[in-house]
Amino acid sequence: MFRHTTFRYLVLAILGAGALFQAFSAGYFGLEVLIEILILAILVLALDMVAGFGGMVSLCHGALMGLGAYAYAMLSSIVGLPPLAALVGAMAIVGALAWIIGAICARSHGIYFIMATLAFGQMAYSYIFQTPIFGGDDGMGGITRPDLSAIGIDLNDSRSFALFCLAGLVLAYLAAVAVLRSGLGRSLCGIHHSEERMRALGLTVWRVKADIFGLSGLITGFAGALAAMHVMYISPGLLDWTVSGEALVVVILGGLGTLVGPLVGAVAFVILKHELSAVTPYWHLVVGVVLIVVVLSRANGIFGWLEARIGARRIFPTHAAVKKVPNDA
Amino acid sequence: MLETRNLSKSFGPIHVTRDVSIRLERGERRVILGPNGAGKTTLFNLLAGVLQADSGQVLLAGKDITALPVARRARRGISRSYQKNTLFDGLSVRENLGLAAAVQAGQARRLFHDSLSHPKVRETVEEVAHLARLEQVLDARVNEVSYGIRRQLEVGVALATRPQVLLMDEPTSGVGPEMAAGFHDLLSGLPRDLTLLIIEHDMDLAFEVADKITVLNYGEVVFEGLPEAARGSDLLKEIYLGSWENA
Repeated sequence: MFRHTTFRYLVLAILGAGALFQAFSAGYFGLEVLIEILILAILVLALDMVAGFGGMVSLCHGALMGLGAYAYAMLSSIVGLPPLAALVGAMAIVGALAWIIGAICARSHGIYFIMATLAFGQMAYSYIFQTPIFGGDDGMGGITRPDLSAIGIDLNDSRSFALFCLAGLVLAYLAAVAVLRSGLGRSLCGIHHSEERMRALGLTVWRVKADIFGLSGLITGFAGALAAMHVMYISPGLLDWTVSGEALVVVILGGLGTLVGPLVGAVAFVILKHELSAVTPYWHLVVGVVLIVVVLSRANGIFGWLEARIGARRIFPTHAAVKKVPNDA
Repeated sequence: MLETRNLSKSFGPIHVTRDVSIRLERGERRVILGPNGAGKTTLFNLLAGVLQADSGQVLLAGKDITALPVARRARRGISRSYQKNTLFDGLSVRENLGLAAAVQAGQARRLFHDSLSHPKVRETVEEVAHLARLEQVLDARVNEVSYGIRRQLEVGVALATRPQVLLMDEPTSGVGPEMAAGFHDLLSGLPRDLTLLIIEHDMDLAFEVADKITVLNYGEVVFEGLPEAARGSDLLKEIYLGSWENA
C-alpha cells in the first residue's frame, strides 16, 4: 500500500525545486536534459505502478510509450485532430491496448509474464516498422505541439515546454497516488501479497491486474505523446524492447514500489548518461556497475537506501505511530 | 446448505478423496477429523474450488457449484481460513479485514475512492473485529502482533466476506492451550446461521464445538455422527483417537 512519509515529501520537494530551478535558469541544452528526465520520469512512474506495486514486471512499456507517440502523431498529423484532443486520444488508445495486454498476461507470472509482455512489445515494434503508413524505418516528422497561445504560452519555446512536461509529471504522479490509494490500489496490493488469498476472498484477480495495466498504459501513452511533441519526429526505435529494459533499470535504480524512487532514478540515470557519455563512449558499462552495486547492496534502489538510513531517523516520522500491541486480544 | 455428492479426486494412482458425500444444514457446526494424509485439506480445496473434482458434485444452497472457480464460489458465500497464515503482512489488522470486506461490498475495484472509508466496509470491519476479538489491535501491523492474534485475524479475514459457509482449516494450529480455549469462545460467538466446517486436531475443542463429526481415512468417510457417538466409536479409536487417548 502506498504511503507518503515526511521523508518522501521532502524528496519530492527537493526534486520539484530542482526541476523549477533548472527550468528557469538553464540554457537550451539544460532544458533538453530536463525534458528528457521529465518524460522518462512519467514512463517509470507508470511502470512502477505495475511492477513495484503489482509485481507485474513489464517489458512492453517502452513499446506502449512508442505507440503513444505514434498515436499522437497519427491523430494530430493524419486525422487532423487538435493536438490536445490528439493527446487525450493517444492516451485512450494506449490505455485500451494496455488493458487488453494486461488482461491476457494476467494469468501468467514471473518470467512467463515478462516474456509475454516482451512478445507484445516486439509485435508492436514489428507492426509499426513494417506498416508503410507509419513511415517504416524513416519514421514520421512534422509533429506539432499543442497551441496554448490563447493563454499566453508558447510551447515551441523549450522553457515553456519543460514546464508543460513538469505539470504533466505532477498530474501523472497525483493520478498514480490516487489510483494506488483507491479500492483498486488496495486490491492490487493484496494480489501482490497473495493472489491465491485474494481469489479466495472472491476477487476477480485478472480484472484488477488488467485495470491497473490499463491505467498505467494511460500514463505511458501520455509520456509517449510528450516524447513525440518533444522531438517532433518519431521512429520505430521508440518501441524497441531496450527502451522497456532501460525503464526497468531506472525503476530498480531509483527504488521499486515507492513511486518517489523511480523519479530519483530518472534524474540519476539521465544525468549519469549525459555526464559519462561526454567522457567515454562506454558509459553503459558504468551504469551497469552502478546497477549491480545497487542490486547487490540489497537496498531498494538509491531512494530505498536513503529512506532506510535517513528517513528512518526520528526527525522523519514514517507512518502513523503504531500502537503498543497486547499479546492476546 | 453445503452438500457433496460422491466427490472423488485422485493424483495419479493415489485416491485422495473417494466418493465423499456429506451434507451440512444451515448453521451446523461440523468438525472433520482424520489422521495426517486422510484427505481433509484436499476436501477443503475441492469445496473452495482450488481443485477440480474428478467426479461428483458440490452443492451450495441446493445449487451445483462444482464447475465454478474459486472467486465465484467465494462470492456465492464459501469462505475459508487457512492452516498456515495467509495474511497481508505489511498491512494493519484493519487493512487486512478491509481488503476482504471491500470485495464483499463491491468496492475492490473502485477507482479514486479508498475502499476502507466506505461505510459498508467500515461497518463490516468493526463488526468482524468484535467477533474475532481484534478491536484492541485494529491499527497494529500484522507483522507486529502475536501468533495467536494472527490466527484470530486469519478467521477474521474469512469472516469479513460475510460468508454463508466458513471452512476453517485447523484454526488453532500452533497456538497454546489458553489460546485454544479462547478460540472456543470465539467460535461460540459466531452468528448461529453461519455454517462451519472445521478441520481440527484439538479433540477437546472439536467435541465441544461440533454438532456433528465426520471422520476421513484414506480419503473416505468412515464415520459420521454425533460427538458422543464419535467418542465411543471403536473404529475411530483404532484409526485416530488411540493416539490421542494414549497421549
